[in-house]
Amino acid sequence: MRLALAIGDGGGVGPELAAKLLSHPEMRDRDVIVLGDARLLRMGAEQAGVRLDLPVVAAGDLPRDLPAGQAIVDLANCAPASFAPGQSSAETGAACLQNFAAVLRLAQAGIADAAMFTPFNKHSMRLARPAYVDEIGFIDATLGATRSGREFNVLDEVWNARVTSHIPLREVANRLSTERILSSIRLTVEVMEGAGKPAPRIGVAALNPHAGDGRNFGEEDEDIIAPAVEAAAAEGYRVSGPIPSDTVFVRATRGEFDAVLTMYHDQGQIAMKLMGFDRGVTLIAGYGFPIVTPAHGTAFDIAGQGKADLGATLAAARLGLALAKLNPPRKRQGALARDWATAPVGDAPLVEA
Amino acid sequence: MPDRPIALSCGEPSGIGPEIAARARAKLGASLPFFWIGDPSHLPQGTAHKVISSPAEAMAVPAAMLPVLRHDFPAAAQPGRPTPENAASVIAAIERGVSLVMRGEASALCTAPINKKALKDGAGFAFPGHTEFLAHLAGVDRVVMMLACDALKVVPVTIHIPISEVPRALTADLLTDTIRITHEGLRRDYGLTAPRLAVAGLNPHAGEGGAMGDDEARLIAPVIARLRDEGLAITGPLPADTMFHPAARARYDAAICMYHDQALIPIKTLDFAGGVNVTLGLPFIRTSPDHGTAFDIAGQGKADPSSLIAALRMAREMAAARASA
Repeated sequence: MRLALAIGDGGGVGPELAAKLLSHPEMRDRDVIVLGDARLLRMGAEQAGVRLDLPVVAAGDLPRDLPAGQAIVDLANCAPASFAPGQSSAETGAACLQNFAAVLRLAQAGIADAAMFTPFNKHSMRLARPAYVDEIGFIDATLGATRSGREFNVLDEVWNARVTSHIPLREVANRLSTERILSSIRLTVEVMEGAGKPAPRIGVAALNPHAGDGRNFGEEDEDIIAPAVEAAAAEGYRVSGPIPSDTVFVRATRGEFDAVLTMYHDQGQIAMKLMGFDRGVTLIAGYGFPIVTPAHGTAFDIAGQGKADLGATLAAARLGLALAKLNPPRKRQGALARDWATAPVGDAPLVEA
Repeated sequence: MPDRPIALSCGEPSGIGPEIAARARAKLGASLPFFWIGDPSHLPQGTAHKVISSPAEAMAVPAAMLPVLRHDFPAAAQPGRPTPENAASVIAAIERGVSLVMRGEASALCTAPINKKALKDGAGFAFPGHTEFLAHLAGVDRVVMMLACDALKVVPVTIHIPISEVPRALTADLLTDTIRITHEGLRRDYGLTAPRLAVAGLNPHAGEGGAMGDDEARLIAPVIARLRDEGLAITGPLPADTMFHPAARARYDAAICMYHDQALIPIKTLDFAGGVNVTLGLPFIRTSPDHGTAFDIAGQGKADPSSLIAALRMAREMAAARASA
């Protein structure tokens, strides 16, 4: 199993965490191909106080069979002197976009079995590529995917999927439909079963306080969510809800559910980050290989200090490798295009000059 | 330490109120003096209690007995079944507690849970809950509900409304008043000379610079800026998902949340049973356990008094802070 690791935003803890991960005893002997600027990784190793000595492989002639162990493809795209630590910048954002596209292409080509990145900063990425919305959109464009993947948050044994994500709260209720929730339930189960969790039990969160309190605080729980849960149960899914969202995660962590389906972004993120800021993993599934990253961000406030906690990053690497093992055996899809590390994504150049 | 007891109103007698009052006294003894306003016949059979004629007498009641300020009800309690026949008395017991605490005979008011439907059916009670009723009795327009446990204090700015109505209900006026009342409550009743408040955003990532909603830039940030100019220590609008882990919590004394579950998810996740409901902005101190009447287990001797005990403890700490201010 080979992990393709994109170095995250140089202004934050991305390089430091990449260096810490590569030097961790559990990862030292693993097959990891790192994508990014070798100077940035060196900077991260210095911040982390670890020694790294990875062989450098040229992007232009990636060998058909990568050597065992760790190596870096030096994209030379982000000199540490070109940006200021602790803040967003177009320079670091451009490098992240390139590193990200590169790990995705390596995984798509079957050269790596899982893709991973240490924290990116969306603002940096938008400075470099104004059209950047979120990871899913960029992955779709990079891979030419016809069906979008799904984002999950994983904390220990509990998974969290959501029906709506990066939209204003005022639009959430209008976006919900019985069909949409039902399809989220089906997809969640499909992905979890592919990840070795047969017949997972799903707790479906309510939208309104106290699940609407018998229609006193809104109608959606009874009119939209409950019918979706009933329909899913009729299809044989092990599903309960709508459950008031202030108790559904407590019940999940006590072992009642394997996953919680939430209606909007913060409904799940508040509980998941509170319970395991240092262990939470974001998983993007549905592309034939897992894409993982720690759930936390670039932590600009502690960038460069060597203080970043490896917990969530290590958990992400473990999950990515464990899931990759469950995928059907992958064959290398032939040679990569010579410009695989710089080719445009979608209709636009990788970054705007 | 205040030398006046806390008044505990009985709430719905057919719920778990009477039994948790008896159990709280058994656990706390005389270490945390309170008296119960209710009908002694509603207490679980065999509850050791002593009827008192004024709150001051509660201080001298032996530790093994529950001090009871007797308030007769027309009907017996029927554990597990709401009793609208008792509605007027439930309300009167609350009113009596308010008058005792307003007169200074009790140091704080703690309320056991009521059943709104029983009060509505039996006495035409038109308030959405305790909080609004107490504000009415005290003659106050706006009060703030705060939920508190050892690790976190949260204030939902909007409470029992559908998510779809939250953006409309959030106004600069409401947000400003809520922050001011919270600030003043923390100062006066928690002994914090300069309370630090953290204000959550409404949208994912606090709107991410407008990419996911403009309520932060349009409404929340200007209110924060104005209050900061007045000298209040406020941060925000912060992304709600990264403000509740331990390192983030260390940076503030209370979190101001935009909607019910934004406040309730973190506090229930941190402390499922021990949360205390506090009303700030009243002329007196009021706390209550953060649970309902629990009809499903009432009268079975299973009810856990820990949230009530936490509410009594917090009432006493608040009274001490207010007395020494």
